[in-house]
Amino acid sequence: MSLKRRLTLSLLAILVIFSLNVGTHFWGSFARTESMIAYRTSVSAQQLSATIGQQLEEQRIQIRVLATLRETTEDTLSAEDHEQAKTNLESTAAKISALGEISQDINQPQYRALREAGDKLLAVWRNFYLRYNDPGYQPPLDTSNEPVFYEETMQRLETLRAAQGFIAEQRAAIIDRTINLTDRITLASFLASILLTSILGFFLVRYTSESLNRLKTGTQRIGSGDLSYRIDDIEDSGELGDLAKAFNEMSEKLRKAILEVSTARENADLANQAKSSFLANVSHELRTPLTAIIGYSEMLYDELGDDGRINRGQFQQDLQKIILSGKQLLGLINDILDISKIETGKMTVLMEDFEALPILQQVCQTIQPMLEKQNNKLTLKPMGELPTFHNDATKFRQLFLNLLSNASKFTQSGNIEVSAKPRGRVVAFTVSDNGIGMSRKQQKKVFEAFVQADDSTSRNYGGTGLGLAICKEYCQLMGGSITVKSSLGVGTTFYIKLPSRGPAQGSSRAAG
Amino acid sequence: MGIGVLLVEDNDLNRDMLSRRLTRAGYVVRTATDGEEALAKVRELRPDVVLLDLSLPVKDGWATCEEIRADARISATAIIALTAHAMSDDRKRALAAGCNDYAPKPVDFPELLEKIEKITAVGRPR
Repeated sequence: MSLKRRLTLSLLAILVIFSLNVGTHFWGSFARTESMIAYRTSVSAQQLSATIGQQLEEQRIQIRVLATLRETTEDTLSAEDHEQAKTNLESTAAKISALGEISQDINQPQYRALREAGDKLLAVWRNFYLRYNDPGYQPPLDTSNEPVFYEETMQRLETLRAAQGFIAEQRAAIIDRTINLTDRITLASFLASILLTSILGFFLVRYTSESLNRLKTGTQRIGSGDLSYRIDDIEDSGELGDLAKAFNEMSEKLRKAILEVSTARENADLANQAKSSFLANVSHELRTPLTAIIGYSEMLYDELGDDGRINRGQFQQDLQKIILSGKQLLGLINDILDISKIETGKMTVLMEDFEALPILQQVCQTIQPMLEKQNNKLTLKPMGELPTFHNDATKFRQLFLNLLSNASKFTQSGNIEVSAKPRGRVVAFTVSDNGIGMSRKQQKKVFEAFVQADDSTSRNYGGTGLGLAICKEYCQLMGGSITVKSSLGVGTTFYIKLPSRGPAQGSSRAAG
Repeated sequence: MGIGVLLVEDNDLNRDMLSRRLTRAGYVVRTATDGEEALAKVRELRPDVVLLDLSLPVKDGWATCEEIRADARISATAIIALTAHAMSDDRKRALAAGCNDYAPKPVDFPELLEKIEKITAVGRPR
């Protein structure tokens, strides 16, 4: 669950509990007020009933006294007394009416009964005062229904008062219960909100801090260089999960970038190493023929200075050696120039018509001294009808010269064979020997410039590691290809495929 | 009797040229074309000084030098590295393998003679 959703949920829960509290308060307040009004009305009605009862009692006593006086004396009532009595009666009638107004609906039947009895009683009493001053008036109190009415009125008044008292008690009980209930609800929701807030807070903190801890660990691990470290199992599908994902993506990108940089650096280092060792090899190879040239020259110079006679035959041979070394040096320099021309894309192909066989025979002738030195036997196998080539004859010649001198260099007292077979517009040549051979690893690198099979090869066999690189580039320039198969101690075979009609004239850059 | 020099060189021209020049200069020159042959001849002939090419077939000059130094009977033999390995580190490598001195090719002949004289004078108390 996302952090945002967690927070929202927590807030909502707290809001719900809070509104429950507020609702309870308002409901309790409303319930209390209503019951309180009813309670007060009932109490007022009770009091009013008591007052009415008292007034009725007092007026009856007064009437009883006046009636007794009327029987024994002939005194009449003054106008003032009359008026006073009338006012008292009206007051009582008004109070009874008022009692009706404040009585509950439920008490209306009792009230109506009271009113009926009261009206009758008050009518008797009103009539008593009206006729009191009449000559010969006999108060009818003992003879009429007045006592019955009075008793009835008082009795009903009591009934109404009791009913209202009951209502008041009921209402008071309701008020007590309401207060109790609201108190309990308030307390319960207060406790619930504390509990809920604590639980939510606890889980929020726990989950969030767990996720943050993982992020922290990840940051520290990656910061300390462990770029393969990934933040796993963050349960959070929200912001923290996104953060972890972004974090993982970032470290993956970082890892890749660093890998790329280190690969590039390694490649640059390797290239640098190759160039340094190339330079060392070139220096070594240039110095070997130079040693002979300078050495023989100085020696011959010294001999010329001697008084003794010069052995002309020996002198000529020595000069031949200087010339040979000079030519070897030139060939070396040409190789170096060739490879740098190829590397900078400035090598061109020169197209001409030629036959393959005479050139191969010529190469065999050239290589003869080297073959003799290593005691090798070279065979040109029968080739049948080869097409006339339209390609670069110089490169063709150089290609086989390189391959054959290479084969002779790495073969001692063995056989070297050259074969050719026309296959459509392509001629497939092979140059094979039964010399020292190469391992699989060496075969992979053998066509790379500046690289010999390994360091000990150049130490033991000399050479700059340029011959085969030049061969490969020449084959490509002529529109063909060269591959090698070899096994250590058994021998090596180079397979060369050349089209009889070469590519359009162009530079090595176009050939790739 | 002259100073005995063992010339170890795989290149035919250079071996021929150097042995002739050294003979002309008055040394008794013997030759070897690879490391194994050189070791055998050092043991057999006990030369005063070995002129040792480093890039040799069969066993290279560095290994040959180390073996001479490891063999108590011939370990005192004076060795001058004579090599076309003339990059800055090559002198150090030659001396580290146990050579007493180092002469890069192409050879400065008078300087080489000086070196031979100097090294054999030290080695010869008589």
